[in-house]
Amino acid sequence: MDSQIQTIHQQLVDKEITCTALVQSKLDALKQNTNNTVNALLGEKALELAAKVDAKIANGESIGLLEGIPFGIKDVYMVQGTITTASSNLLKNYKSAYTATAIQKLLDAGAIPLVKENCDSFGHGSSSENTIFGAVKNANNPDLVGGGSSGGSAVNVAKDYTVFSIGGDTGGSIRQPAGYNNVYGLKPTYGRISRYGLMAYASSTDCVGPIAKSLEDIRIVLNAMSGKDVKDQTTYASAEIDKDAISTSEDIKTIGYFKNFIESEAIDAEVKADFLATIEKIKAKGIEVKALDFFESNTLVSTYYTLAMAETASNLSRLDGTNYGSRIEAENLKETYSVTRSENFSEETKRRIVGGNQVLSQGFSDEIYLKSLGLRDQISENFEKDFNEVDIILSPVTPSTPPKIGDSLKDPLAMYLSDAYTVGFSLGQLPTLTVPQGTSTGLQITAAKNNDELVLKFANFLKDTI
Amino acid sequence: MSKIMTVDVLSSIKGAQPSETVNKLFEVIKNANLTNNNSFNNNHNCVSLNNLREDVVIDSSPLEKQIIIENFPKEKNGYLVVSKVIEE
Repeated sequence: MDSQIQTIHQQLVDKEITCTALVQSKLDALKQNTNNTVNALLGEKALELAAKVDAKIANGESIGLLEGIPFGIKDVYMVQGTITTASSNLLKNYKSAYTATAIQKLLDAGAIPLVKENCDSFGHGSSSENTIFGAVKNANNPDLVGGGSSGGSAVNVAKDYTVFSIGGDTGGSIRQPAGYNNVYGLKPTYGRISRYGLMAYASSTDCVGPIAKSLEDIRIVLNAMSGKDVKDQTTYASAEIDKDAISTSEDIKTIGYFKNFIESEAIDAEVKADFLATIEKIKAKGIEVKALDFFESNTLVSTYYTLAMAETASNLSRLDGTNYGSRIEAENLKETYSVTRSENFSEETKRRIVGGNQVLSQGFSDEIYLKSLGLRDQISENFEKDFNEVDIILSPVTPSTPPKIGDSLKDPLAMYLSDAYTVGFSLGQLPTLTVPQGTSTGLQITAAKNNDELVLKFANFLKDTI
Repeated sequence: MSKIMTVDVLSSIKGAQPSETVNKLFEVIKNANLTNNNSFNNNHNCVSLNNLREDVVIDSSPLEKQIIIENFPKEKNGYLVVSKVIEE
């Protein structure tokens, strides 16, 4: 599919449509949707902004490429004056005091926010069922989950309710729902986009990224949000990715895939067959393909969840109902903290906080937490070694197709293990893109750190190859 | 004097118990093979100290301050009301 942003931009400039009519039609579709993608609509403000774009066009003024383009925001981003719930009871009435840097950059470019999107509470989940707003239903089959944690965002894009949406990815939360709903979803290199104003889940792997229906729209939105930000010390300056730069792939000579991902007993037979067929098509184009060794899925998932739980236990310790949030008064301060947190956090969030505090405790930290940090270093070293041999690593996004709504809540271990193919790249802080091709839940394209351009380049090549 | 802090106290979550599911993940870590035991944080994921932001106070906007007050769970005359702190 071609760039929707370019198409809509041209229609606005040529006065084939008005921005107001466009925004109103998207708002109507979002309001009527039965996939539970919406936590809150930003209708009044969106229409006000659309009217300004129309006035500019009527006056003969030029507009920027993103000006008037309607988009969605996962409900974990601060947008000043809007309710930001993280799909949780604790923050169901919390109003953002400021705006996240990534979102501010899109607003500055003139894009119009329509909706705060449903997701797993605080990003804790892989199915968007762990939410007070009802399980997000898959865009292709409403009996199945929308994926998570950015499920509402991926479904909105797949259903054309938003032109693009901004998700958040800590262990696969953009890439997996993008795969489950057959759209593009990018987790950029850690630090390429500022995390300021994104509610922290696991700060060392949290990434901001776009979900869209075309590669070109991913490129446009990535460029708009990237850059160093003094409010997030982990950000770095990056060069804009040029459209022409990703149009040729001659410098991609060798790609790799992880043998154990494909030989695993957990992989669905069809996903495996489709993945191997894709590899053959790539070989036929003259690209060398290497089968690489990697860590066992169990080790990857356990390392990721140990570190993510430790970080979320620390990050969410601030949520005690003192300064903000749904406080429940009890007889004294400690009881107030305790009752507020017990009543307002979901079972999954509590499980992760408790697990995190467990591994950070004396007696556990050495043999679990610190060892996980050591494993993470080994995983990073493994990636560095691999990228000396190959330009790109290709993987399936998930071992199997989306589960039925209700199944993941019954079996959290199965849900954790379903993240086996995404969490490793998070631990390595590598740029990884889900493309809606190759298997029924797509493919992941990964390059070395800071090489987001190569990821887009290979995706462009795949678009024409398979 | 040693005082054992249980996970429910550490987490401020009433009746919280370690989860069997999560313990299975921790068992994998305990049994994992770590080749270089003392090597964690080999600068793979660290922020450089050479490029830190200025250590200056930046005042919030009036709107930001107003919203912060709106978010107070309990407010009296523009002040945040908190529970009584008890001494143990």
